Amino acid sequence: MDVIYEGKAKRVFADPTSEDRVIIEFTDSVTAGDGAKKKKFEGKGAIACDISEILFSYLEGKGIDTHYIKRLKGPQILCKKVMIFPVEVVCRNIIAGSFGKRYGIRKGTRFEQPLVEFFVKDDKHHDPLITMGAITRLGLMSRDDLQFLIRVTLSINYYLQELLKQRKLTLVDFKLEFGKTADDTIVVADELSPDTMRVWEGKSTPLDKDVFREGKGDLISAYSKLFNILRTAKPEEVEINREMVQVIVEPKSGIKNPPGEVTRKALLRLGFAEVDDVRVGKVFNITLKNPITTETLNHLNIMNVKLLSNPISEKHRVRLE
Amino acid sequence: MAIAVLRYPGTNNEDDVIRSLSLISGADPYLVPSRKGLAGLEKADGIFIPGGFSYGDYLRAGAVASVETITEGVRDLAENGLPIMGVCNGFQILVEMGLLPGALLPNESAHFICKWVYLKVSDKPTLFTEGIEGAVLRMPIAHAEGNYYCSDEELEAISDENRVPFKYCDESGYVDDSSNPNGSIQNIAGVLSQKGNVLGLMPHPERASRPILGSTDGLPILENFVRATKC
Repeated sequence: MDVIYEGKAKRVFADPTSEDRVIIEFTDSVTAGDGAKKKKFEGKGAIACDISEILFSYLEGKGIDTHYIKRLKGPQILCKKVMIFPVEVVCRNIIAGSFGKRYGIRKGTRFEQPLVEFFVKDDKHHDPLITMGAITRLGLMSRDDLQFLIRVTLSINYYLQELLKQRKLTLVDFKLEFGKTADDTIVVADELSPDTMRVWEGKSTPLDKDVFREGKGDLISAYSKLFNILRTAKPEEVEINREMVQVIVEPKSGIKNPPGEVTRKALLRLGFAEVDDVRVGKVFNITLKNPITTETLNHLNIMNVKLLSNPISEKHRVRLE
Repeated sequence: MAIAVLRYPGTNNEDDVIRSLSLISGADPYLVPSRKGLAGLEKADGIFIPGGFSYGDYLRAGAVASVETITEGVRDLAENGLPIMGVCNGFQILVEMGLLPGALLPNESAHFICKWVYLKVSDKPTLFTEGIEGAVLRMPIAHAEGNYYCSDEELEAISDENRVPFKYCDESGYVDDSSNPNGSIQNIAGVLSQKGNVLGLMPHPERASRPILGSTDGLPILENFVRATKC
């Protein structure tokens, strides 16, 4: 099989039977500290693959689009072929790793709300943190796609946290990669394993790559422990997280908006002389029964054209923030 | 001929319409509640969508009714050439479903307007204006969203294709801004579909169809509609 890509802990092969698929093989290598620390642990690839299989299947079952198709023999999974976005998404619930170092804050502080951060995939510059503004200005990704990634990441955070909570484990943080399939569906790609997430048992005992980073304990036994716990978790007991999107419908520019005009006059009567113009539109708060996917966004567009807005006189947009 | 008079939840002009149509010889109007779906249209030779406030005018006037099952049946029958008339909220439903061009926006004053207006009938012949070409009619309007709007291209098309049978005017038939009650583009009060078999208008011909109502100017429009159902 042809190797398409070789990363630090994975190899990607072309699927000889389909152009739209790839085979991802998990290797035994573990790296840390931006590649400064590197070691092989026999059997690590297989466990990371086992855990990815469990977690991708779980997320798919909850309605989140991933690249995962099925498990193959050995440490391999069959996946949809995607164009990977050049940005990695990190979601943090508790301060650990680079965040603590960056701001000089002690490990273990829990955020009130999960934090989503972006990092550019750029080994030469050590995968630097990047803002949304910089991403869009560098033309790496669109603002809409980034908003979508944030929503999916937070959704995954909910589902992973709930599953781990069943077994009294804590999801500290995790990294995701996303990609676009041939039919323009945005999916979660890469892997979901202790190589890419921090999971604590008890107060702060790591069951993840921190075992290697910090040189404490046996990596294989920590990974195996997490796998065995996940294997007995009950995905069906995790409740669906209802998500809300906003649809905003506004009068097109150039079209008179009488409700806005009478509102403007009323505001002037109240003495707000600074008001120059008022346009009145509508906001729809739509609660969904499932996570937001590319298909949901397509459906929202159709909903807008068919019912929520009158395309002749109004414009519409979906707000995910 | 059998004329289906549709009633959506919130329609309230159906009785006036049925009564006015009943007085025209050969017309057999019957009430069709929208929940009947496509079955309600089976024997129809013509369809009348009366005014009112279908679905409480929620979302936009006519928007919710425009996606009902029975409305899909109206679309199919329109394509088959059946005469169809929508008045006031009926007109709003027809534009929302795209059977007629344009949109009906809130009145320029942002007020509900209920008053008598004059309409200049187009000189050119249409299915609904036979015998009244070029006339000035007196009829009432009663609406909050009757401000007709369409794109410049659409406006050119409907004007060129003689699809604007009614315009708001003054008593002498002069069409200008001072006789425009609601801000409609070029004083448009009614439009026709491309085939000419579907008419939508904001003024109420059924409320101007008997002497006791103060005008009979709307009657010829209804008579032409009934006659068309026999073709």
